Amino acid sequence: MTSSSVSFDTFVEVEVKPPGAAQVVRVELSKLAGQLPTRVVAAVVVLAPFAVAGVLKAQGAVPADTLFGRWVHTSGFALPLVVLGFAGSWGFPVLAGLVAGDVFAGEDRHDTWKLLLTRSCSRGEIFVGKTLAAATCAVLMVCALALSSLAAGALVIGTQPLVGLSGTLLPPGHSLALVLLGWSIALLPTLGFVSLALLISVATRSSVMGVLGPVIVGAAMQLLSLVGKGEIVRTLLLSSGFDAWHGLFTANPYYGPVGRSAAVSVGYIVVSLAVAWIVVRRRDFAGSDAGWRSGWVVPARALAVAGAAVALLAVASSWGPKSVTAGRLEASISTTFSNLAVYQQKLLGRRVPAGAGLDVLPTCKRRGVSTPYSGQGDDWHCTLDVVGRQARQMPIGFDVNVRANGCYTAEGPPSVIGPATIRTRGRGVVPNPLFVFDGCFDTS
Amino acid sequence: MSTAVEALGLVKCFGAIRAVDGVDLTVRPAEIRGLLGPNGAGKTTLLRLLFGLIRPERGSVSLLGRQQDGTDGRLDGVAGFVEDARFYPYLSARHNLELLARLDGLGARGRVGELLELVGLAKDGGRKVGTFSTGMRQRLGLAAALLRAPRLLLLDEPTAGLDPEGTREMRRLLRELAASGVTVLFSSHDMAEVEHVCETVTIMRAGQIVWDGPLTALRAEAPVPEHRIVTSDDVRAAELARTLPGLRLEADPERGLRVSADAERLDAFVIALGRAGVAVRELELAESPLETMFFRLTSQ
Repeated sequence: MTSSSVSFDTFVEVEVKPPGAAQVVRVELSKLAGQLPTRVVAAVVVLAPFAVAGVLKAQGAVPADTLFGRWVHTSGFALPLVVLGFAGSWGFPVLAGLVAGDVFAGEDRHDTWKLLLTRSCSRGEIFVGKTLAAATCAVLMVCALALSSLAAGALVIGTQPLVGLSGTLLPPGHSLALVLLGWSIALLPTLGFVSLALLISVATRSSVMGVLGPVIVGAAMQLLSLVGKGEIVRTLLLSSGFDAWHGLFTANPYYGPVGRSAAVSVGYIVVSLAVAWIVVRRRDFAGSDAGWRSGWVVPARALAVAGAAVALLAVASSWGPKSVTAGRLEASISTTFSNLAVYQQKLLGRRVPAGAGLDVLPTCKRRGVSTPYSGQGDDWHCTLDVVGRQARQMPIGFDVNVRANGCYTAEGPPSVIGPATIRTRGRGVVPNPLFVFDGCFDTS
Repeated sequence: MSTAVEALGLVKCFGAIRAVDGVDLTVRPAEIRGLLGPNGAGKTTLLRLLFGLIRPERGSVSLLGRQQDGTDGRLDGVAGFVEDARFYPYLSARHNLELLARLDGLGARGRVGELLELVGLAKDGGRKVGTFSTGMRQRLGLAAALLRAPRLLLLDEPTAGLDPEGTREMRRLLRELAASGVTVLFSSHDMAEVEHVCETVTIMRAGQIVWDGPLTALRAEAPVPEHRIVTSDDVRAAELARTLPGLRLEADPERGLRVSADAERLDAFVIALGRAGVAVRELELAESPLETMFFRLTSQ
């Protein structure tokens, strides 16, 4: 040490201003930026969409099991929606875990709580600062992923009009606005998962649990959404919010899921953060885990409570109004089919008068089940009677896979609707829009 | 402000263990106070209570004249560390201090380089703290504590892990800080270290304070010093000792004899040995009076 060269008077006379939560946010963002996982996530969200776009373009294949997947070669706006759909299943919970799961538990891992709590900030400021930093980082990552997906789609595929979920063609400007709106709708559920990650991080004091916890919760919610026919539990699942943007892309947009998703997400955020704050506020930072019950008792109890909650929700998943019904499916599929039929004719170079459409009489029911007019499943069959001139009807049968979120995939008979691809005038070979098509309807 | 630290009736339990048991502690401004005690005496727990890292079951804490409100209040003017100093290992020493400076208010940011130089880490400022030794982290801990211009320093075994030169410098630094008006309360289990640095001392045992006051008062209450003496004829030396007043002698379990006497009587004993033809081969202080006192106070 070289104390002789320094005057101590300078140290005792320096004016120190109370830093507040804003400084904590800056510090926490700086710490996050210094950590390898954050850098890896940042690199992935920026580069992965370009890699996906490049691979899809090179292979010529399409991710047909994802909404808008079959249009990735037709419009660059499909790619960000494919990425959004995939991120809603796994990406956002993983991102939330990686960004927020270590924010509190990292202080336990490095034994640095005492370093933080012996500065000029109160516990409240540190909690608020850490929470805001995690939220800011997560929002930045989501925005980066959205913009890089958009850029990748536009640069690699192009900015052609997008075929919506009711079979209508959405102009590029409208598509861009809807894509941005769709991604912004995913922000609140993502912040819900960030809050869960923070809560798990605080409660378990484990970085591993903080990172994996949101992923496990997300997976459990995905499973719960697959069982039961009721709307109540599905609405209360945080992961359902990632499907709320579907309604924007239909001919008659529905915004109910957006509002419900926002309310549910805010509920998760408020409850998670309130519980996390109580835990932090009441915690004794006694060092060496004094007073902290380690071992298997606490994790076993938590696991038992979580298991009981999942079981209860699984039982309750059939409560409430039925989300998937024959009436809703019939209304949606007839409109979508009619619009896509018009689009198909345009692709084939035939003149279609403005406002033209088909009169379609749909009949949908499930096969081989006790409840033939409700519930998700791949056993739906819809017969679309197309009313032609002189009231002649041409029935077309579609096998339909309907999911709990109200989206479906319909597959028609090639003998009637043509092959998987069609040759167009001027645009070469494109997917036959009627061969297999997707649609969505409001489940509420 | 009449007191820098005022703790009244502090009680802290961990399960069935009363780690701090009814502690009253007062430290005056600009005082340098040693907090002594064997391992498990409750020193670190007391410092954690003062920092507000843990909540007491009973009692109150006032730092720099301001009542500490549970664990939610700011620690304005108070700095230090408990147990060993810890930092973010994936960041450099300089980056760690810069972040801490932000948490202390913008005014402190400019002194990072100066403080790294002060604690002898100027050359290592760019290294990640994960590569630092315990001693280097202790030095960085002191720099982090000084960053915020504290008026009260609470340090938990600040010389732990330091080499002899670092220990000497740390002691000098603490004295200089106290001379500049900073109140220092530091814990140690080494009586000799406290003797070097402090004017007053608080000794803890099993969560309770068993002595609190100036070192001079402790010395006054201390027994006569005990020396170990090795002679050419220990049997003869023992016989001779019995003839001298104010001298207590017993066999040392390892080697030679243990003599308890004040300086004058010890001198007389050594001279008598020489006159009797008994050579003194070794003579050393076995235990200082303060150490003896410390062990007496802290033995169960």
